[in-house]
Amino acid sequence: MELSALQQDALIELINIGFGRAGAALSKLTGHRVQLEVPEITMCPIDEMADRLRPLLDNEVATVHQIFSGPVDGDALLVLDRNSAAILKELLTSEPPLPLEIDRSAREVITEIGNILLNACLGTFGNILKVKVSFSVPHLTLDTLESVVGSITVDRTGLRYALIVHSHFRLRNSSLTGYLVIVLGVGSIEMLIRALEGWEGQGR
Amino acid sequence: MAQKVSLESGRLDTALAHWLSHESQRGVFVTDAQFRLVVWNQWMEIHSGRLSSDVIGRVLFDLYPEAATRGIREHYEGAVEGSVTILSHAFHRFLLALPPTNTELGVAEMPQSAHIGPLSIDGTVIGTVTVIDDVSDRLATEHALRKQIEAQRRARATAEQALHAKDEFLSTLSHEMRTPLNAVLGWARILLDRQTLDHALVQRALQVIERNASAQTKMIDDMLDMARIVSGKLRLEMKTVDIVSIVIAAVDVIMPSADARKIAVRTHLDPKTPLIVGDPDRLQQVIVNLLSNAVKFTDVGGSIEVRLDISDTEVCLVVKDTGRGIDSAFLPHVFERFRQGDASSTRRHGGLGLGLALVRDLVELHGGSVSAQSAGEGKGAMFMVRLPTMAEAAVGDDGARVAGPGPRALAGIRVLLIEDEPDSRDLARAALTRFGAMVSAASSSAEAVNEVLSATSETMPHVVVSDIGMPVEDGYVFIQQLRALSPERGGRIPAVSVTGYSTPGDVDRALAAGFQLHLSKPVDPLALIEAVAKLSRQPC
Repeated sequence: MELSALQQDALIELINIGFGRAGAALSKLTGHRVQLEVPEITMCPIDEMADRLRPLLDNEVATVHQIFSGPVDGDALLVLDRNSAAILKELLTSEPPLPLEIDRSAREVITEIGNILLNACLGTFGNILKVKVSFSVPHLTLDTLESVVGSITVDRTGLRYALIVHSHFRLRNSSLTGYLVIVLGVGSIEMLIRALEGWEGQGR
Repeated sequence: MAQKVSLESGRLDTALAHWLSHESQRGVFVTDAQFRLVVWNQWMEIHSGRLSSDVIGRVLFDLYPEAATRGIREHYEGAVEGSVTILSHAFHRFLLALPPTNTELGVAEMPQSAHIGPLSIDGTVIGTVTVIDDVSDRLATEHALRKQIEAQRRARATAEQALHAKDEFLSTLSHEMRTPLNAVLGWARILLDRQTLDHALVQRALQVIERNASAQTKMIDDMLDMARIVSGKLRLEMKTVDIVSIVIAAVDVIMPSADARKIAVRTHLDPKTPLIVGDPDRLQQVIVNLLSNAVKFTDVGGSIEVRLDISDTEVCLVVKDTGRGIDSAFLPHVFERFRQGDASSTRRHGGLGLGLALVRDLVELHGGSVSAQSAGEGKGAMFMVRLPTMAEAAVGDDGARVAGPGPRALAGIRVLLIEDEPDSRDLARAALTRFGAMVSAASSSAEAVNEVLSATSETMPHVVVSDIGMPVEDGYVFIQQLRALSPERGGRIPAVSVTGYSTPGDVDRALAAGFQLHLSKPVDPLALIEAVAKLSRQPC
């Protein structure tokens, strides 16, 4: 299953609207201008997910993981290179860094940022799908990408797809890259694609 | 079995509710969809000071209106829509204004992190649930860790700087050690290559070799001294010393190099300067280092002033020059080891950068202090060494003060001084006179013998002080002539020999020739006073 170019463009536009709101929320929260952009969205079976996140493969990653449930259910993750996570926290709080393992304040901050982004992204989905989903409390893990993929819970037996949202953070003259990953079962994906077509069909 | 009991849903709910209410180490409260409180656990009661019975049924934002003004209400509205919100301490500081649990953090409200989420039954949101963590301890730990890391970072930076200074020193060292060697080697090769050698050339070569070898010896001595000080192995030979004569001797040492550069050296020394306790050799080294530093950095035609300021408790040696001064940025580092104002390879002045560090270390070993002043580059510099006077001076190792000769130790003693070198003669004469001796001086052996032969019983010297190395007739010839006289003509006058050579063999030879005591140059004035005082008490 693949997204057509049109579907992809529509999704990028939708998520950018959500990210615009998330960026504004982060700017207000931190007092620094934070911009979020989505240059690219890809969809792939979950087995290929690690491959698509290749730029992060060699490193340990910081992952904010939130499970959502309702008419559609799945896993939502913000995956950041660990180093970028530490830099992001430092840029946002202006506090000198501690190693991420022991810096619980930093982990909390990254969790909150992840929560804001995932809410923005899933809120957008909820809007186009016209469904209400509820979320679990987000959790941050510091681990390899492999074990992150292993921890995804949704529909373990069925075919699962990962929607990978390549994201850029721009703040204080720095730029960081992260990935938002939404893992959905095949049924939810079909719903999403149909909704996208409907949304496009409305002629905007 | 326990498992079966816990699975009965009614009892499980009761047990969980009890745990949340009474055991949880976090604040937990639940509201309905209109934000009216329905659960307020014990932690919340303790930390808010509000009993559950007083808050249940009331709207959260009526109890904490301040939370609504900070935008907290939006998160509750989101929760009713199904969102979960994380409130990190770093961004929000606290959820509800509760009194602090750790007053050392200096905050008015307990630092908190929290999350707010929907409370649902069968997919329908019926209210919100909030969990609060008190993060005071965590903040205190992180704060301490940051301080530790910062301290480590600073220590590392200091160590790196010291390492850098040492590297710089090593490169200076190799350069400075080579320079005199080049001169020595160069002149040695010239001498070796010449078929015929004229006296003037040899003389010149030897002078250069001697001068450069001495310079290198001085450098090595400085390094060894520094190594001894650093390893705590430098021992001071403390005695009562006359700082005036030490300053005079030190000025004598640098006079030739000052003269060569036409630098005037002016001294203002009060002969009534009190005695101090110290190691005379080391104190002379201190003053010589300061003076050679002044000479080195003063341009041709400049001047250096040496002064002793006296107060009740200390003697302050001031060395002031009209030289190139010290940049204010370098001034605080001027006494540091291996530091030089200009460490570049093109610098105009040689040296290891140890001289002033040695000055500081040696003065501090004497219980004194050093300081430097300069109005800036090109404006001259002033160095001050403060040394405690005897009343204030540190006591010796055994706790006893070192006793020196009293100011009238030589009152009424007639001394015949034989010394061909005018400066040394003046120095010895000044020292002896200060302690009350009557001094007649001779510049040769023959002159001295005549002095004795022409003396009456009223003018006959009590003690003779004689240099050994003199032209024509040396000190040995003189003492043989003196001892050849009858006792009433002065043949038994006790005598002190003074030489620059002082191997044990020289001492034996002097004593065998007829001297009673032997002193080596440079003569410590107080040792001379003590020697003369001792001999004057001996029966002739």
